[in-house]
Amino acid sequence: MAAERLPTSVLLRVLARSFFLQASWNFERLQNLGFFYVMAPALRYFYRGDELTEACRRHLDYFNTHPYLASPVLGVSLHLEGSRASGEEAGMKAGEFKKMVMAPYAAMGDAFFWGGLRPLAACIAIFFAAKGSLWAPVLFLLFFNLPHLGFRILGLWKGYGLGLGVIQLIQGHRLPDLAIRAKEATVVMLGGVCALLVVFSLRQEGVPLGWGLAVLPLVAGLRWLTRRGISVLLLVLTTCAVMVFLGQL
Amino acid sequence: MLPRDLLIGAVVSIFCGLDRTAALQLMVSRPIVAAPLTGLLLGDPLAGLFIGALLELLWLGRLPMGAAIPPDDTQVAVGSTFLAVVAGAHFGFSGEPFTLLTLIVALPLGKLGQYLDRAARFRNVRLVKRAEAALDEGRVSEAEREHLKGLGHFALAALGTFTVITAGGWFFLQHMAPFLLEPVSRAGSWLKLVFPLVGAAQIVGSINVSRSVTLFGASFTMALILLWLL
Repeated sequence: MAAERLPTSVLLRVLARSFFLQASWNFERLQNLGFFYVMAPALRYFYRGDELTEACRRHLDYFNTHPYLASPVLGVSLHLEGSRASGEEAGMKAGEFKKMVMAPYAAMGDAFFWGGLRPLAACIAIFFAAKGSLWAPVLFLLFFNLPHLGFRILGLWKGYGLGLGVIQLIQGHRLPDLAIRAKEATVVMLGGVCALLVVFSLRQEGVPLGWGLAVLPLVAGLRWLTRRGISVLLLVLTTCAVMVFLGQL
Repeated sequence: MLPRDLLIGAVVSIFCGLDRTAALQLMVSRPIVAAPLTGLLLGDPLAGLFIGALLELLWLGRLPMGAAIPPDDTQVAVGSTFLAVVAGAHFGFSGEPFTLLTLIVALPLGKLGQYLDRAARFRNVRLVKRAEAALDEGRVSEAEREHLKGLGHFALAALGTFTVITAGGWFFLQHMAPFLLEPVSRAGSWLKLVFPLVGAAQIVGSINVSRSVTLFGASFTMALILLWLL
């Protein structure tokens, strides 16, 4: 028997709901209720009565991954539930698949989206903000959200269409490698942004720009302190107090 | 303070607060977006841009991984922009020194956001229990509604943090701004550097890139020399 195919309208409802995956994020089972909520329109299409409640319960197990990487997981889960509903023998159940991929996908998503793309978008935006351009937030949103939304939408569609084959598709995109490239670009951009801000301040105070090099040991010292576990809040407030004190001399 | 301003601040605080974790996650919650948006709606987008640019890098290195909750820079951005525009107009203060002062005041108050966010996530555990009970009785729609109630918990956490930042900040600025503005003005342009430099130090320290210090140092020096020569 062929697996039941979901109508596009149901897939679109699942996609819309996937943007609310974390609405009930909780410390006990993290995104579990969200996963059930996103799947519910499709489960309603596949099952009725007791079968429906049983299917819903299956998706209330512990679940946690990166919210954007959840899209392909949701897509594959829809595919596997469709196969199950039509009595087709699939090699793996949706629950097993979720358990298998949630941790590696969380690591990949955190590294690429939070650790790579977001700081890079922020550095680009701050260049414009330093010049007083109100395009800064717009550029930030565009630079971050074009890949983000593309990944979320295609992830669900491809996950549903390819089933377990999406694992290879995601591996082919080499997200961990991309994350490293994005992080390297971020560090380079960060150096440029800091230099620009330092130059603005030196010019404002009428200090020769060569003094800007003194910032490097300062950043190295602050980095050493943050790595020793000193809170950023404490560092900012203390450094501000020192600056205010020095300003009085 | 006009009720309209308060309403705008509260709506932006909730919208951006939800974007942070519970809904959409389009990054409208990042300070570089949330602060200019608040400023735009209150009539001074440049004050918001100034705050957003200073705050953006500060906790960017703290990732929301697993059960870790980073400091609530969203509400600090919205709250300090609100104070800079609305409290500034009310008390007759304006300019970069006052905006900087509102940011410095909002930072420690924003720490509460972490606790309220945590409380919302603990509260959401009950929703799971209720959803399971609803499913036991075959009521699937009710189980779905339990999930959406989590939005209310996150919205309350955002609004609570915004209220503490604006109320506490308002009280502090009312009494202390006349004394602190002069020293902050004198240290102004150096003070502006503290935020991005501490943020950069944290990012360079926590980013998982080999030779990150070398890369940062080289690009900083090259950019500085180029700007010097131009």
